Amino acid sequence: MADVRAEMSASVFRIDVTEGADVVAGDVLVVLESMKMEIPVLAEAAGKVEELLVNEGDIVEEGALLARIL
Amino acid sequence: MSPIWSAEIAELERRRAMADELGGPEKIHRQHAAGRSTVTERVADLLDEGSFEQIGGLAGFPGETGEHIVPTNFVFGVGTIAGRRVAVGADDFTVRGGAADASIMAKQVDSERLAAAYRLPLIRLIEGTGGGGSVRMLEQSGYTYVPANPGWDTVVDNLSLVPVVAACMGPVAGLGAARVVMSHFSVLIEGSTQLFVAGPPVVRHATGEDLDKEQLGGAEVHRRSGAVDQIVPDEASALDAIRGFLSYLPSSVHELPPVVEGREASGDVEHLADVVPRSRRQPYRLRPVLDAIFDAGSVFDYTCYSGSVYTGLARLDGHPVGVVATDPYKGATMTPNGADALTRLVDLCETFHLPIVSLTDQAGMMIGLQAEKTASIRRGARAVAAVYQARVPMAEIIVRRVFGVGGAGQINRHRYNRQWAWPSGDWGSLPVEGGIEAAYRADLEASDDPEAMLAEIRERLEAVRSPFRTAERYGVQDVIDPRRSRELLTSWVRDAYRVVPELLGPPSFGTRP
Repeated sequence: MADVRAEMSASVFRIDVTEGADVVAGDVLVVLESMKMEIPVLAEAAGKVEELLVNEGDIVEEGALLARIL
Repeated sequence: MSPIWSAEIAELERRRAMADELGGPEKIHRQHAAGRSTVTERVADLLDEGSFEQIGGLAGFPGETGEHIVPTNFVFGVGTIAGRRVAVGADDFTVRGGAADASIMAKQVDSERLAAAYRLPLIRLIEGTGGGGSVRMLEQSGYTYVPANPGWDTVVDNLSLVPVVAACMGPVAGLGAARVVMSHFSVLIEGSTQLFVAGPPVVRHATGEDLDKEQLGGAEVHRRSGAVDQIVPDEASALDAIRGFLSYLPSSVHELPPVVEGREASGDVEHLADVVPRSRRQPYRLRPVLDAIFDAGSVFDYTCYSGSVYTGLARLDGHPVGVVATDPYKGATMTPNGADALTRLVDLCETFHLPIVSLTDQAGMMIGLQAEKTASIRRGARAVAAVYQARVPMAEIIVRRVFGVGGAGQINRHRYNRQWAWPSGDWGSLPVEGGIEAAYRADLEASDDPEAMLAEIRERLEAVRSPFRTAERYGVQDVIDPRRSRELLTSWVRDAYRVVPELLGPPSFGTRP
């Protein structure tokens, strides 16, 4: 189980996966937008997207939980 | 005929053997069962084989018969790491859970005094609780005392004198926790060690928060807290990190940083001309940049908690330098924690006379409500002040952005420092994006076709923000092919190291944790 967290305060620009999707390390899960930059959040290891906790357009703070990978 | 002192020599051996038993087989078994080594094993693992000279190994507490002596739970002495002399002090958790006692105090204080007197890097392997021991001690001593942190004057002064490194080797609270952070580099082991001012029972009683050790002070807490510098997976990695960190630093502020034989960079130099995307909205990977600029295997990550602000130590042709850069995958701005990390790196470099390389990409201090609530501006300004107080030579490669007070202050721009910009350089007091609508509002409102006008203004400004325009006015020293970065920095570092000997001695300020 891996918690995927936001590294910075940002808005959720795009979500690239759906719940239940299989991912491999390096896959883009979510793209955050902060200070006019699009910052991909990548899967650190292979697994299944157990839960997505944000929607496009959400504002998240640094450390906020974005998704859980099982 | 046996020597005159043979009886005493035999007694000495008996006493040494008792000290080697630590808190006894049962406690040692429990220590191992928890996945942790004993103090003896740790010291042996840390130092060059057979190099440890213990001091005060006979100190301990005789039982009622006086026959069996339980050693004090603090082991210290001198040894070597890669042939260099270091002082090491380590808590023994198998004796009274590492809680301090009357004689440990003198030994602990002496470990600090040893490092100060002989200018030795000091390593603290901490697995102890507070300085006050347990409340049970009150009844034994029959009185209370006004607390003074033992040896604290030396603990403070050592930060401006010798490298001090600390590792949390178990649950660490109170004075032990303070001794962890009174250091230039600290590590915490994920899953098996924790750091807190007070442990769960005290917290439960005081605030009602019901948390276990890991929830209160484990890796998840400290990955972003800034209390420790690095989080490592196991004891062996903790000791590796300590040895690695010390390899960049001199033994004291009075000596030069250790220059070793240089190595070629391991990264792909050609990649440097390719690494920054043309679209300013797209991030780049920092690691390949570091690997293409610094000596192979020499990049040491310093602060784990600083988000987009990367701090590290590295070598250029064998010469140790401090490195500040940006990891765009972790954000674009200098967060308050990032600012603290920059302060910490620059203070470290000033204290031990390491020249600083900035791979500048700084959009400025963090903005927004969260930033204001956590004093983004003061913590950012403090980092800029640290940069300006440092006297060590600095060089800058502008990789991408330089904006705002934070960008302006990433290196000292009032002193002569070497500076090169990549063609991807992008700077100004304010970024163009978002600023156009505000600056040209009246014109845009008056226009029949504001969209077209906006596009036209953007195009005009795009030409103005070319780094070549800045270079024409000598607003930047040079624009370079990024592939020349290592070569230019390697020439610079030799100039820098010719100046460093003049700076030796105490830092320009007293170093704080």
